[in-house]
Amino acid sequence: MTPGASTSLIAHVALLAIISFGGVPGVLPDLRDFVVTANGWLTDREFANCFAIVQGIPGPNMILMMSLIGWKVGGLPVAIASALVTFGPPCALSYTAFHFWDRFRDAAWQQRVRRGLAPVTIGLVIAGGAVMARAGDSGWPSLAVTAAAIGLMLMTRINPLWLVAAGGALGGLGAL
Amino acid sequence: MEFPTSPQPSPPPGAERESPGATPPVTLGALFIAFLKTSMYGFGGPIVWVRRIIVDERRWLSDRDFADLLSFCQFMPGPNVVSITVCIGAKFRGPAGALAALAGFILVPWTVGFSLGALFLSYAQTPVLQGILRGVAAAAAGLLIATGIRLLLPHRHRPIALAVAMLAFAGLAVAKLPLLIVVLGLVPLSIALARPDRVPAR
Repeated sequence: MTPGASTSLIAHVALLAIISFGGVPGVLPDLRDFVVTANGWLTDREFANCFAIVQGIPGPNMILMMSLIGWKVGGLPVAIASALVTFGPPCALSYTAFHFWDRFRDAAWQQRVRRGLAPVTIGLVIAGGAVMARAGDSGWPSLAVTAAAIGLMLMTRINPLWLVAAGGALGGLGAL
Repeated sequence: MEFPTSPQPSPPPGAERESPGATPPVTLGALFIAFLKTSMYGFGGPIVWVRRIIVDERRWLSDRDFADLLSFCQFMPGPNVVSITVCIGAKFRGPAGALAALAGFILVPWTVGFSLGALFLSYAQTPVLQGILRGVAAAAAGLLIATGIRLLLPHRHRPIALAVAMLAFAGLAVAKLPLLIVVLGLVPLSIALARPDRVPAR
């Protein structure tokens, strides 16, 4: 790929990371638009593969996802740069804001802000999951796996690793 | 397990530092190891594992303190779990603690995870791996949705909160609006409508 693509990807990831209120899953729809639809650096399937792979391996999964996309676009240096811009600036911001937040944790305004923020961030998390459930031309068997995972996760105390493993096994056997 | 005596009441807000006898001191090494473990366990989203290890296993924070921290970190930009890592490190050990926890969370797990991920991605075209990835992605999307639903449960008696969550969901997943628009449009509205009384304890 051209150096222009690498720079442009890193800049976009940095921008998304710093506005990713509610967490990185909330920016996945935007990221997909940028790398798949607008620039064609990855196919829809490859993008879905990146998401699936980072769910199936341990580690900081959203940072790894940005790294894998960076790797596809510009190799190892872009992978490392994508990781750094994903967590670096947000970390510095969280660290600074945390002191302020902790000092006023019992103030009435903060309880109000906290109650106001929570439903927005929760809606964004669920939307991130819904977008990924539909990514990569998934058919009804995939949606059934998603629905089963939701049900089991909410109604039992099963270790989530088993759900990921069961999904992988069903897919590996060609059921999806 | 390490606390066979009577169950600890959750300390009053802001009292952790004044009652150091409740838990052993949290060292830099302990922070590094705890977050290394969190990260290496973190299949399908590490938030679940942070709670298990920090609250249930190490008992560094009460459930209420963890929930407070989570609501702050969920709103901060960037990977939530990285914000939590930095904030917990900073809470116990200041800047050095934040760095120790962050290093534990990122260095080794990133190297291992990236090597594995790049390897898998190279073979992603093989049909069996395609199928496995499809299944893993479907299950992982379900875990993410379930996590969101679980976070929503304490708000179920607040119709305004449910409506705001629905709007945020619909704006992003159905109307496909840009994230910034959804956030800037809903956050002021939601804060303006929030009542200052507390959420009833679960």
